Amino acid sequence: MEFNTIYNNLFYLVPEIAVSAFLLLVVLADLILGNNKKLLPYLSIAGMLVAGFCVMNQMTFSGAVFSPSGQSKSFGMVTVDSFGAFFKLLVVISTILVVFFSFSSEEIKKSTRRQGEYYTLILGMVLGMFLMISATDLILIYLSLELMSLSSYVLTGFTKLKDRNSEAALKYLIYGAVSSGLMLFGISIVYGLTGSTNLYVINTLLQSPQINMLALGIAGILIFAGIGYKISAAPFHFWTPDVYEGAPITITAFLSVASKAAGFALLARFIKVTFVSSVAPSGHWLLIPVFPWKELLIVISILTMTLGNFTALWQTNLKRMLAYSSIAHAGYLLLSVAVLSNQGLVAMLVYFAIYAFMNLGAFFIVMIIANKIGSEDLEDYKGLGYSMPFLGVTFGMFLVSLTGLPPSAGFIGKLYLFIALVDANMITVAVIALLNTVVALYYYIRVLKEMFLSKPTGEPVSLRLSPLSLILILVMLAPVVIFGVYFTPVVEFAKSCITILGM
Amino acid sequence: MNLIPIEYYLILSAFMFAVGVTGVLIRKNAIVVFMCIELMLNSGNLALVAFSSYMGSSAGQIFVFFVMTVAAAEAAVGLAIIIAIFRNKLTVNIDEINIFKW
Amino acid sequence: MNIYDIVFYLFAAITLASAFVVVTARNIIYSAFSLLFTFFGIAGLYVLLGADFIAVVQLMVYVGGILVLILFGVMLTNKITSVQIKTGTLQVIPAILGTALMAGVLIKIFTGTNWHSQMAQYPTKTTAYALGHILLTDYVLIFELLGILLLIALIGAATIARKEEKAS
Repeated sequence: MEFNTIYNNLFYLVPEIAVSAFLLLVVLADLILGNNKKLLPYLSIAGMLVAGFCVMNQMTFSGAVFSPSGQSKSFGMVTVDSFGAFFKLLVVISTILVVFFSFSSEEIKKSTRRQGEYYTLILGMVLGMFLMISATDLILIYLSLELMSLSSYVLTGFTKLKDRNSEAALKYLIYGAVSSGLMLFGISIVYGLTGSTNLYVINTLLQSPQINMLALGIAGILIFAGIGYKISAAPFHFWTPDVYEGAPITITAFLSVASKAAGFALLARFIKVTFVSSVAPSGHWLLIPVFPWKELLIVISILTMTLGNFTALWQTNLKRMLAYSSIAHAGYLLLSVAVLSNQGLVAMLVYFAIYAFMNLGAFFIVMIIANKIGSEDLEDYKGLGYSMPFLGVTFGMFLVSLTGLPPSAGFIGKLYLFIALVDANMITVAVIALLNTVVALYYYIRVLKEMFLSKPTGEPVSLRLSPLSLILILVMLAPVVIFGVYFTPVVEFAKSCITILGM
Repeated sequence: MNLIPIEYYLILSAFMFAVGVTGVLIRKNAIVVFMCIELMLNSGNLALVAFSSYMGSSAGQIFVFFVMTVAAAEAAVGLAIIIAIFRNKLTVNIDEINIFKW
Repeated sequence: MNIYDIVFYLFAAITLASAFVVVTARNIIYSAFSLLFTFFGIAGLYVLLGADFIAVVQLMVYVGGILVLILFGVMLTNKITSVQIKTGTLQVIPAILGTALMAGVLIKIFTGTNWHSQMAQYPTKTTAYALGHILLTDYVLIFELLGILLLIALIGAATIARKEEKAS
């Protein structure tokens, strides 16, 4: 590859370059400004806005860059397309919200002297996610996954004032390292079978029938272990509750939305680019018959949502309950991949756009209440609906939306998912998912019951919201309410964003 | 002169991988678990280098180079976390680190 | 059996035997030191495979870097309180059965597949030139990404390991 080609290719990587530049700026500003850390969060937000702007400009791009020499131009290491742009925008929005959360988080305020590191690591995670979202080479997939993981291990243990904090980080790191070891072994088998790490090249090679199916199957499962860990799919989910409970709540919210979004984008792109031979006019993907992705994904998603929902039933810590609920949501989202069609992809994008706001909103309110009463136990929420009516009502709206009841936006997400399922003739799976939603209703409603129908145990607490918190809640509540009734723009936008460059 | 078949290297790597996974499953000490993870990574690396040499392509070897860098970074962060925990709790056994339950 | 075969079996034996000791040793110091022999044996196999550059990097990064880090970890966590670090085991039998099954499946696929193998004789040329060339052309993006990854690891490790100032 000549210097000129590299230079031209850089044009496609402007968002990633912007994030890296602001990452370095935050490090430098932290050093130069000394003890005045007020500027750093604004610098990170500015970085995200610039990156978001660059992503918007790329909305209509499609192309693969950094192709290995000797390969055709369309086989690249990084692919820029509208699907990637959608997820990058989602990451940008949730990062901006999480940086704003950090303004009012007591946990982060306590470690004032290390603010610079906090924002550097967040930007490092964002860079990792950006590259995960658009990676089409196994080497880049592995490394971007590791970049994101390394930053998130440190952020999980960031406050380290409480025991559970560093322990969560250790658990996260050990299980993460194991899953990346499994993934590496899977990648090495794929490399041995095909002689390439580029997904497009592997796709063309898989279409020839002399591949050893068993070897490819094992490799597929091992690679899925690496990705499944990030999206907390069922056999690899057990770190989730501990890490979500132990991490600072801003980071929990970030992990549950942004890193999950990046993981799902990676999974969908990996399957679409590597294992799909063509897309039928009806929008269904034709799999190369080398690995039963559909069956595997259906089994795992049913396992994930059932486990998540049922374990959430007897949780008494709200952070932990939301962790299990996010596992359950990962199950629903996996179904949208398992449909293996463009309709499934639309459902996934719509679901994610809504899930991001409602989940961030729920975590934010838990954080505000924890700042005030110093606890996340359900026990301490008794009667809070009366002492903090505004928070109680908004929290209720987020929970109703997480359940998926009409007329909230969560209902629209589930509706499109079920339409995609029925369209692909997966009626049984749709029924199981529906029954799961009923189970979910119980534990979400239990929180509301404690808040509004129980007598407060201690003396009533009152809380005055800062203007920033009020605005943040309204910003997150607006899409949850509006998309519930006026959802055409989201759906249209999602429909325009399902181009995954591939076969 | 006969070459050693590539399968020999791969079988060695499979054994090492299995030993590493067993270690991860049965050992309690976080540092030992960490060493076992290094065994897993090394077995993957060995398979990659074997494939790359026998296929005559350099991609596998460059990947191994990257993996080693990541492993070093991961070891640094991992041991920093272990030391932070040790400072608080004076234990590094995964079993005893159990504020969390199911 | 020629000299190459003997070298292969020697290094393979060193690697596997010491890997086994890493997992089974009761004393954590023994585990750490046998890990040294595993890394060394793998480096020998890399030389045999004609990957001279990777072999040198293996010695420098794994033996010189990671192993020293691990030893530091062992010593620091051992010495602070002179508490004996227990090394017990968890669910031994299911774990061993599971891994035996996994090793069996892996060996089955490794011996049952036709790997494309074009190597006709042991390579004699150094690989450093070829690797350096693709590192800064085809893989330049990943090379730059690694730079950021190392920066993040550096900052992260320093933040976590630093003593928390309680006053602020």
